[in-house]
Amino acid sequence: MVEGTLAKLAIPGQRLGSIASYSAGPGTHVQNANIYASIAGPIVIDPAQATAKTKSTISISRSIPQNAATKPVTTKSNPKYNTLPTVDSVVLARVTRVQKRQATVSILVVLDDSAATHPLNPSHTPSDNDNVAAILTSAANPENHSSSDELRFQALIRKEDVRVVEKDRVVMDEMFRVGDIVRGSVISLGDQSFYYLTTARNDLGVVMARSEAGNMMFPVSWKEMRDPDTGLAELRKVARPF
Amino acid sequence: METVKTKDSAPGAATRPQRQRQSNELRKIFLKTGLIPSASGSSYLEFEPSPALAAARSTPKSLIPPSSALKLACTVHGPKPLPRSATFSPNLVLTTHVKYAPFAARKRKGHIRDASERDLGVHLETALRGVIVAERWPKSGLDITITIIEAEDDRWWGDAPDSHDAPWGMMNVLAGCITAASAAIADARIDCLDLVAGGVAAIVSDGDDAAPRLVLDCDPAEHWSILSACVVAYMPSRDEITELWLKGDGSKAVLSADDKRLGNEALLDGAVDAARGAHTVLAEAVRESAERYAGLALGGPAR
Repeated sequence: MVEGTLAKLAIPGQRLGSIASYSAGPGTHVQNANIYASIAGPIVIDPAQATAKTKSTISISRSIPQNAATKPVTTKSNPKYNTLPTVDSVVLARVTRVQKRQATVSILVVLDDSAATHPLNPSHTPSDNDNVAAILTSAANPENHSSSDELRFQALIRKEDVRVVEKDRVVMDEMFRVGDIVRGSVISLGDQSFYYLTTARNDLGVVMARSEAGNMMFPVSWKEMRDPDTGLAELRKVARPF
Repeated sequence: METVKTKDSAPGAATRPQRQRQSNELRKIFLKTGLIPSASGSSYLEFEPSPALAAARSTPKSLIPPSSALKLACTVHGPKPLPRSATFSPNLVLTTHVKYAPFAARKRKGHIRDASERDLGVHLETALRGVIVAERWPKSGLDITITIIEAEDDRWWGDAPDSHDAPWGMMNVLAGCITAASAAIADARIDCLDLVAGGVAAIVSDGDDAAPRLVLDCDPAEHWSILSACVVAYMPSRDEITELWLKGDGSKAVLSADDKRLGNEALLDGAVDAARGAHTVLAEAVRESAERYAGLALGGPAR
């Protein structure tokens, strides 16, 4: 990223360049062979790779850059067009209802690409769970304006999407309990009211849960969490903690 | 100040405020974003009060304020999930609500939205629908709520109702709503094609023998009668109009000899000019919003 580009701000309708020299990224639109800004924010020019014959991508940043050091300089990830859940985005959700065939959750936050886990490279994000706690505890999370469950996007985890192995042996009560915080990946925008999530990956599943006694539990295996005070174990579909 | 003949010059009576601006000069606009922290986007807009108000305050002749100037607050909530009863929508579903505060106008407004308020809401929705890039926000809704704290007068309060009456103040209110909503939407970072600005022009007559003339951003209290008025929602960078509302009959109005345009054409051009003026204020307010947002990013606590 070019130094000083962050200071340059665009407002909607501002002409950014021609499509002959740039390609349009998130936060922009094309009109009459020109790229215009669609939202207000800093202009980000992602330089083209020298090897590939591609144009630089011009986009308007929507997410707040946390700080310059942790900001990924070359993101190969899919561009983020808005703050809504899309297919393949990783979300944190709270379980609101557990039924025989499915669990209903309400989406608390859509994780940034930078905050999302990288399954192939776990050492890349060693503090992902700290990150989760930070996101859930910060009331001023700019992506989470809504506060009540009615204002949040609802999602379903179907029985067959809970885990990869022994799909037909899944008992939903032994996977999730109401109030658990679950990390899931969106597999479909679903119908008019629900998104569909999956937890069928090692890094997906319950990340925070309270025991029957009300204590915060720690994970002991992929299907068990334990209460540090009473020592009792409870069954969950646990996300790999690191 | 130009000398204008007025009907009501009885000694001791309150006098009608008079336009002291040039015919193409707008009132100053105060516009600020992000004043309501619980909303995802918000704005507050105020028009400059007429100088007659300051004059009446320093030398009061009557307890009734001579004119009123628009003040309104706009909040944007969303994008948020659609209600359970709604069907699947691949686009953003826009809802607009315009409500006068009970004390906003000289005649008290009820708590339930009346026909004129619903009408304003529909006009505002049309104006905004053409600007928002709705397909980027599937399955979500956007609520735009405008509270009018002080409305514009439809005519000078001392005038008796007559045949020239129409809710002229509503047109100024709509222009203000469009500009404020545009700022609030940009503040909420919803994708837009451009910043849409509202502008009003009117053909007014200041006496039986005075020739009708075109004025931008007219305050209805300042004129003896308004023949026709026009409000547009205009996107300057694309030179497109998303909403056009014309009231009255401007076709018979003969403008000055050197102006060959028809009445309605002149009105439309005037309204677009007024919207261009409002756009400069709007652009500055949105830039301020973006700076605040970027400043939050750079100066905010590191997590």
